[in-house]
Amino acid sequence: MEVKTLHHNDCQNFCPVDVAKGICRRKNELILIDTDTCKSYVQLPKCKFCINFVSTGENMGICKAEQEEPWAYPEMIAVTCKMFNPA
Amino acid sequence: MATPVVDNRQKLLAEILMEKGIPIEYRYGKEHEGVTDREIKNDPTPRANQLKNLYLNSLSSVNVEFPYWYTREWRKWDGEIPIIRRAKSLKAAFSHSTPVIWPGEKLVMGKTYYYRGSFPMPWLSNTFFMAKSDDLYKAALARGGASAGEETKFGAGGGNVTQDFGNVVSIAGKFGIRSEEVPAMIKLAYEWKDKSVEELGHKYEMMVPEYSRKESIMRSIICMFDSGYTLPQGREVINYYYPLQYGFDGLIELCKERKDKVAGRADGDGLVGMDRLYFYDAVITVIEGLQNWILNYAKEAHRLESITDNPVQSKEYGEIAEMLEWIAHYQPRTFKEALQMTCLLHFAVLNEDSISGMSPGRVGQILFPWYEQDIEAGRITKEEVCELLQLHRVKFTCIDCFACSGVVGGVLSSNTFNNLSMGGLNKNGDPEGNELEMLILESSKRLQSTQPTLSCLYDEKLPEDFLLKCAEVVKCGTGYPAFMNNQSAIQFLMRQYGVEGMDLSDARAIAIGGCLETSPCTWMPLTLNGKQYWIPGGAGQPTSVGVHFIANPKVLECVLFNGKDYRTGEQIYPPHNRKLETFEELWQTFCEYYEMTVDCLATTNNIQHDIWRKNSMSVINSFLKPDCLDKGLHIGQLGYRYNATFNVESCGTITMVNSLAALKKLVYDDKKYSLEEMKDALLHNFGFKTAKEVGSFSLLSQVKREDGAKYDKIHHDCLMAPKYGNDDPYADSILRKYEDWFCPMTNKYESLYGRKMYPCQISVSTHGVQGSITLATPDGRLEGTTYSDASMSAYPGTDRNGPFALFNSATVWDHSMSQNSQLNLKIHPSAVKGPEGTRKLLDLTRAYMRKGAFHIQYNVVDSKVLKDAQAHPENYRELLVRVAGFTQYWVELGKPIQDEVIARTEYEEI
Repeated sequence: MEVKTLHHNDCQNFCPVDVAKGICRRKNELILIDTDTCKSYVQLPKCKFCINFVSTGENMGICKAEQEEPWAYPEMIAVTCKMFNPA
Repeated sequence: MATPVVDNRQKLLAEILMEKGIPIEYRYGKEHEGVTDREIKNDPTPRANQLKNLYLNSLSSVNVEFPYWYTREWRKWDGEIPIIRRAKSLKAAFSHSTPVIWPGEKLVMGKTYYYRGSFPMPWLSNTFFMAKSDDLYKAALARGGASAGEETKFGAGGGNVTQDFGNVVSIAGKFGIRSEEVPAMIKLAYEWKDKSVEELGHKYEMMVPEYSRKESIMRSIICMFDSGYTLPQGREVINYYYPLQYGFDGLIELCKERKDKVAGRADGDGLVGMDRLYFYDAVITVIEGLQNWILNYAKEAHRLESITDNPVQSKEYGEIAEMLEWIAHYQPRTFKEALQMTCLLHFAVLNEDSISGMSPGRVGQILFPWYEQDIEAGRITKEEVCELLQLHRVKFTCIDCFACSGVVGGVLSSNTFNNLSMGGLNKNGDPEGNELEMLILESSKRLQSTQPTLSCLYDEKLPEDFLLKCAEVVKCGTGYPAFMNNQSAIQFLMRQYGVEGMDLSDARAIAIGGCLETSPCTWMPLTLNGKQYWIPGGAGQPTSVGVHFIANPKVLECVLFNGKDYRTGEQIYPPHNRKLETFEELWQTFCEYYEMTVDCLATTNNIQHDIWRKNSMSVINSFLKPDCLDKGLHIGQLGYRYNATFNVESCGTITMVNSLAALKKLVYDDKKYSLEEMKDALLHNFGFKTAKEVGSFSLLSQVKREDGAKYDKIHHDCLMAPKYGNDDPYADSILRKYEDWFCPMTNKYESLYGRKMYPCQISVSTHGVQGSITLATPDGRLEGTTYSDASMSAYPGTDRNGPFALFNSATVWDHSMSQNSQLNLKIHPSAVKGPEGTRKLLDLTRAYMRKGAFHIQYNVVDSKVLKDAQAHPENYRELLVRVAGFTQYWVELGKPIQDEVIARTEYEEI
């Protein structure tokens, strides 16, 4: 899936606090999710970064890692998913 | 700036009462000048303070990770045995939960990857999201295009997400969800269409003959909520024993052995004997899921250890990883590991179901073995223990509960009621109040927060220094610890659970679940390094279940108006067509309507709970509590030792008592007014505008009509009629009459488990909501305003003879007939200042307990501070107050409840 804009909550250095903000582990400060990422960005495993994810519409898709191809959503964090395969 | 012109004809209720000499903000004793702050201040360690501040800056946040994986797995196992299917789904959800460790933490793990996170459970309740799907979709689309520059607004509302902002959508004015996740949340809700406990329960409850009455009662809000799908578990005491004793690997081995013994064998039980195999298999599955969950955190700790530059912080991550890798398999070795184990077990249970009031129980006694041995061996210092206990407070304060908005706001005031009990007696009848409990008190004084709230199981045998420490902590103004009468609770437990084998020893294990629910517990033998201890823990079903919050004044209103609710225009009860010519006739009709209410709510809620136990039964909480692992049965199959926990909850007791007293005095004894005249006055709100017209349900804001003078005299007489709380037998005898009827009446109703119900007399926050739907009442209270709080608190401003008169009124009945009673007292900080004040507070408490009362709790606060906080919430983010059975941040309370707390009688001296 093509990802146009990266947010801070797409980064492994981002420690989520709530729906608006988190802590940057590099800078050790609170940052808003929806602001631009920096050069320290490290991709966080998410469905939208997985080769098995196919978008079917806005914020919706399917997971082709399983035969049943269950629906999935792009923002799902996949650090615990054994099927995650970076695109 | 021009001075606004005051219209003298539009007087506020507060002004009118002041003119009559019955000010709504009444002070007992001489008023103190100026603003008096609380004596004891926050003093947490820097680490604990940093983590607490993070909480204060966090929003209540929702994601759908857990329900997504639960549902995805559930889909795979169509046709499987329900408990196995549920266990597999839980395992998948726990195994896929994203681990996050926040900087500075020593105790880790949580409900979700948000600091103050929770999530919907559509398998329980889904219709809210389906009903709101259009609105939520629209909001998500709108927010998707919102500017990233929109920032979070703090202040009023605290961590509540009261409105949409940025890429965040507000759910029910409380929770925030990222707009990108809204489509998934709605899709999940639809996936459970016709399958959730809520929808299936509704399908079958409609088969109950009295269902239509139940619906009318719910629409009128005579009853606050269904318990079967909103909060199917909670207000109970968890039990941490089995993992603390055996470790998770030991439990898996135990279950495997049991499986071999029971597979294919009914062992004389043709009904559920065969089910034992599936239960043990399900327990193994969920424990594997919990182990994956813990080890995912350990893996994350190792990752952080490897990328963190700060060597001290890096080392701590390493220690966290090592701790988690051990307790994922084995019995904890140290106090810190044991405390971490209790935390993760707590979160595990809370993620299994929508739960409010999962109380940790007597933590200071449960963890004493590790504390004692660590201290003896020099492995830890008291200061280190005190910091860990502060971190424990932060972890528990972060707990959020996602339930429907009516429950979270109207009942819970966003609180989660994790009540930690202290004191009481041990198995042999000796007093507790041990050294670790003293440290729990100290840490709760240093780090003041909402959770866990504290309860002192008051017993005459308790050491004086422990009780004085409790009184000292009360002076923080946080409202904890509350005092519960240990002996009264023991009597109640023996009476209610004797039929299930409760003996004195088990009764002594009592702890408080939720706000102040006396809960059945037991003792279990724990062995640590060859030394045996008896530790207490929960052994009973939830008490959040049954018939929940009947609005007593509203039932009385329906009696006066021939079964009709004039607010909605709906006929709720069959018309009684009686003239109500005597007080006894009025009383009998009240009892009849009340029993109709309990009956239809009991049967319909029984069906909801039956669906829950069949399709969404507890596996985790089940394996934790005795005697599920021994019996091989889950909670829904009476696996717990004590199952008679369903109750009937009331609200507005004292408003009802005062109303009956006014009717008796003015209509029946003195015959000063006819019943028709009284009803006319009530329907016309004593000449005041309706709360809806005023735009506020707060008692302080009510406004007189310009043409309202017609009802002045009757309103005056109603206000001046005898009131509870003054040691006046006229009013108090009505309370006695009510309790002597109400308590045994509840025993006539039976839960789905075939056990008799019992009375529960707390209000939580329902006195605000249920007051809002009630007409004016004969005690002079106006339409829409809050009821009296709790069950033994006087109506604001009406207890005018001092605390001991109030105590006499409150104890005219036997409190041990009920699961609880509740009395809130607001005391000015000057009244309890210094060591002498601490002693006075204890003496006051002791005086009430010695009269046989069950419960008292204090708000030590200057009302002037509360008023300023209402006007300037941005300056009071950390202000804590005691509401009913819980402590809450002032800014997270609704205005009617804030007004009610301000209005409570303030005791300037005791």
